[in-house]
Amino acid sequence: MTQRTSLYQKHVDLKAKIVDFAGWDMPVQYTSVKDEVLAVRQKVGVFDVSHMGEFFAEGPDAIAFVDHLVTNNIQEAPMGKAIYSPLCRENGTVIDDLIVYKLAPQRLLICVNASNIEKDFTWMKSHVGKFNVKFTNQSNDYSLLALQGPQTEATLRTFIPQLPNMEYYSVWEGECFGKPVILARTGYTGEDGFEIFGGHNTIAELWDGFMKAGVTPCGLASRDVLRLEVCYPLYGHELNDEVTPLDAALGWTVKQAKPAFIGKEALNGYKPRFKLVKLLVEKGIPREGYAVCDAEDKVIGTVTSGTMSVVLNQGVALARVEADKVTAGQKYFIDIRQKKYAATPTSKAFVQGGHK
Amino acid sequence: MSTQIPKNLKYTKEHEWVLIEGDTATIGITDFAQSALGDIVFAEVPDVGTSIAQGATFGVVESIKSVSDLYAPLSGEVIAKNNDVEGSPEKINAGAYEAWLIKVKVKNPGEIAQLLTAEAYDQFCQTSA
Repeated sequence: MTQRTSLYQKHVDLKAKIVDFAGWDMPVQYTSVKDEVLAVRQKVGVFDVSHMGEFFAEGPDAIAFVDHLVTNNIQEAPMGKAIYSPLCRENGTVIDDLIVYKLAPQRLLICVNASNIEKDFTWMKSHVGKFNVKFTNQSNDYSLLALQGPQTEATLRTFIPQLPNMEYYSVWEGECFGKPVILARTGYTGEDGFEIFGGHNTIAELWDGFMKAGVTPCGLASRDVLRLEVCYPLYGHELNDEVTPLDAALGWTVKQAKPAFIGKEALNGYKPRFKLVKLLVEKGIPREGYAVCDAEDKVIGTVTSGTMSVVLNQGVALARVEADKVTAGQKYFIDIRQKKYAATPTSKAFVQGGHK
Repeated sequence: MSTQIPKNLKYTKEHEWVLIEGDTATIGITDFAQSALGDIVFAEVPDVGTSIAQGATFGVVESIKSVSDLYAPLSGEVIAKNNDVEGSPEKINAGAYEAWLIKVKVKNPGEIAQLLTAEAYDQFCQTSA
């Protein structure tokens, strides 16, 4: 039995195509993936991402507890900041990637992938131990919207006039329609945007308001294209239970300077087995699972995510390639239906998002 | 979902349409198929001279998020391909029955009887939708 977000009926009424995603009936597209991508890149679009999980760590050791669990530095981040981080096992493999929101000295919100809610909560809860912290899974109490695109702030301000000036990756606890909401200047598109956590009724009212204001409803398909164009990893694709953050170009999120965190020893001096390579193909569309070969036709990696970029009108891929094969002169080819297509590695993201 | 199903064409359960003119079959994908796929961004069909076999894959169409095989409605030799559609695959979305993919010289006229009529295809779309 699949689960449904509080906005499910609104998606059906908008004639969205609905698919099962991580056990949830989710809108994959409303009108056209292309139009939805362009709405976010050029104007403003909204995603129902209420399937994602919300955990709270509250109490005197809230920060120390979360800092111990994740690889990035929560302790030293200023209050009011959002911090992206992998969550690792002792052996360094990735349980999930998540965002920690430092709401107050004794109150943190952690937003996790829908597919990993149970796995993450069980793991994190089992590490409470001596920490003086109340750790709760409040996923069922929250709905979540991601409002994304260059017109986001202006749109949001018409609903929340008291919205403060917020930096990219900051968080604010405020009110909308007289009800509490948590607003974060975060997102998964590379564009400026906010994620809005609130009660089901508040979020439903806000969704209706956005629809009346002409915001484009966007589905999971456009969300995936948007994140891939700016090369953000997705759990289950670039990240999984078998790889470490260092195998997925996330070395910047592993803070060895921290005194202790789960996975620190395993990741210290870890020699990555893989590198994540960004590939642009000349022709054809790379897809997940396609082989990546060298000039001698030897398989050196696999496409972890691939699509046609709407902005570039060209096939783009993230590929997990054996680390020692990623050399300056390496030539890459992607095997698409038994034909090899030349692919060009790039160091920058395929598309430069306009976020702050 | 309302979908166009011209009466003069034959169809397959894989959502291809076929126009029979003498021993030439013109093949494309249906309005139902293009609508289900969404924005079509890539099409690949065989070159002239290639032999295709009924029921076997002969090419692909891809939307931004998915790959769909094309299944040959009939056996025969490809005598023309629509380069225009390979270059601008969005033309399939704009008009599925104008944007033909290939023309085939029919090898076994007996296979034509196995194709669906417009009525049968309409029925099939309604039950599978």
